[in-house]
Amino acid sequence: MTKTAEPAITIRSMNKFYGSFHALKNIDLTVQHGERIVICGPSGSGKSTLIRCINHLEAHQSGNITVLGKALDNNILHIDEIRRDVGMVFQHFNLFPHMTVLENCVLAPMLVRKWPRAKAEELAMQYLEKVKIPEQAEKFPGQLSGGQQQRVAIARSLSMQPKVLLFDEPTSALDPEMISEVLDVMVALAKDGMTMLCVTHEMGFARQVADRVIFMDQGEIIEQNPPEEFFGNPQNERTQKFLSQILGH
Amino acid sequence: MAMTGEMGRPGLLATLREKYFSSLGNAALSIICFSILALIVWKFFDWAILSAVFSAANGPEACKATDGACWAVIDARWRLILFGLYPHEEHWRSALACGVVVVMTVLSCLPYFWNGRSISVIWIGGFLAFYFLMKGGILGMPVVDEQSWGGLSLTVFIFVTTVLVGTPLSILLALLRRSELPWISALTGIVIDSVRSLPLLTILFAFAVVLPFLLPDWASGDKLYRAIFGSALFFAAYQAEIIRGGMQGVPTGQEEAAKSLGIRYRHRIQRILLPQAFKNALPATINQFVITFKETSLFIIIGFFEILASGNAAYGTGNWTFAFVEVYAFIAMIYFVFVFSLSRYGAFLERRMDVGDH
Repeated sequence: MTKTAEPAITIRSMNKFYGSFHALKNIDLTVQHGERIVICGPSGSGKSTLIRCINHLEAHQSGNITVLGKALDNNILHIDEIRRDVGMVFQHFNLFPHMTVLENCVLAPMLVRKWPRAKAEELAMQYLEKVKIPEQAEKFPGQLSGGQQQRVAIARSLSMQPKVLLFDEPTSALDPEMISEVLDVMVALAKDGMTMLCVTHEMGFARQVADRVIFMDQGEIIEQNPPEEFFGNPQNERTQKFLSQILGH
Repeated sequence: MAMTGEMGRPGLLATLREKYFSSLGNAALSIICFSILALIVWKFFDWAILSAVFSAANGPEACKATDGACWAVIDARWRLILFGLYPHEEHWRSALACGVVVVMTVLSCLPYFWNGRSISVIWIGGFLAFYFLMKGGILGMPVVDEQSWGGLSLTVFIFVTTVLVGTPLSILLALLRRSELPWISALTGIVIDSVRSLPLLTILFAFAVVLPFLLPDWASGDKLYRAIFGSALFFAAYQAEIIRGGMQGVPTGQEEAAKSLGIRYRHRIQRILLPQAFKNALPATINQFVITFKETSLFIIIGFFEILASGNAAYGTGNWTFAFVEVYAFIAMIYFVFVFSLSRYGAFLERRMDVGDH
């Protein structure tokens, strides 16, 4: 794990509103390079909104966000520059259904990085090997299982060679027997030193790989600690209640 | 007697008996219906083929001697129907121009040519070839003004140009209508709704006849092109809503995924949104193309001899006035060939695009 002096992501006093609804309240968060962070909390607590603000799928109304040394404002050029280096994996995969798996993976590298097809395909195949489905490269997403689709989505993000990966509930839409194949890939990525922010309810994953677990409720960061501390000795009452609910059975 | 086929599947006779002769009442009804059907088919066959007169060699008098169809009128007047008022000795140019458009359409329907460069070359090349064949003025071909164009070539020209101008316009309108800036989407909405609430007839009339009073001479161009522009605008207003409907069928996650990969707006539209929107919009789009093809006949009211007008002229002059049914049947057949090909092609596209879905 390499931690350089400058953090990968810095969020300062950030607020987000939907109309009059205060979705994110005064968020402060610093993420170092190579750090693995798991964000959890009850539904509606703003955890997805938080990571969607980092690549500007949602606009914040006040405060500062700096990603990989670049300030995130409303300038589309700055936004695109940040998005190039920040990958995202979605709950519902969002693969492009009219393209083969390989086309899904080479599209952005060719259009955005301007790599020639040969180079893009070679890298894409490497990442498809990494997620263990190179043999599906010529199939269409609709022909794959949910777990396979999510692994393709991870390979698609990796094909851009991002410096940060955001995971927005990557296993929530999967059948139970497919969850582990996706988590295995995420664990492998974590071991390679990828900077990761994962919104997930997989507490086993959090224990295994997270450097820090963040608990959010009602748009606020309530508590953040390394996993041993977070699970072993939760400080806040709301954290205790949440943990007892999801670990209780 | 057992009526089963080789593989144990019911044979033809067994199927017939089960479906049409399962009871006495059923059998009676079937026999009556089959008899009526047979009578109609026979009558038509007798009229269209057996008793028909095919050659115009003996003039209209030969037709009056029989009860059958008078296809002689087509033999005598086919040039008028297909080429309108186009000069007689130049008819080959009009025919060739029609052929160019057919070849261009067939080529651009082949998936092999579905990339920006091929399609542009085919359409721009084909359109220029059509235009210069029809208009002349180069390679020693005498100039023929748009006012003298007519018949099938004109119908095809109106249709192709309408679609060629209208399709990009409709995509533009659909994109503007879903703009994030409220005043742009509202303004586009007003434009689309205004055009849609006018009858095509009014629009053609306004563009052909009224516009020249409002525009300076240098800007008003030829009447044919003004009318085609009106027709393209009308097409675009409807087609824009069809495409917008297709866009709404594309989940928002598609655009978010493309954004998260850093793909720019232009490429998100070209590579992610439009291909999926077109697929969703395909059945309605084919419908709109078919309607547009048939609506070319409205150009008759602003004085153009498209195929229907030429047909009217074909039986309306001289001694053939009694043979209008045959002329209309002939024109209906031409419409049918075009429209039927269009819908079969649509069905082919739907099957082809379904590949990735399951």
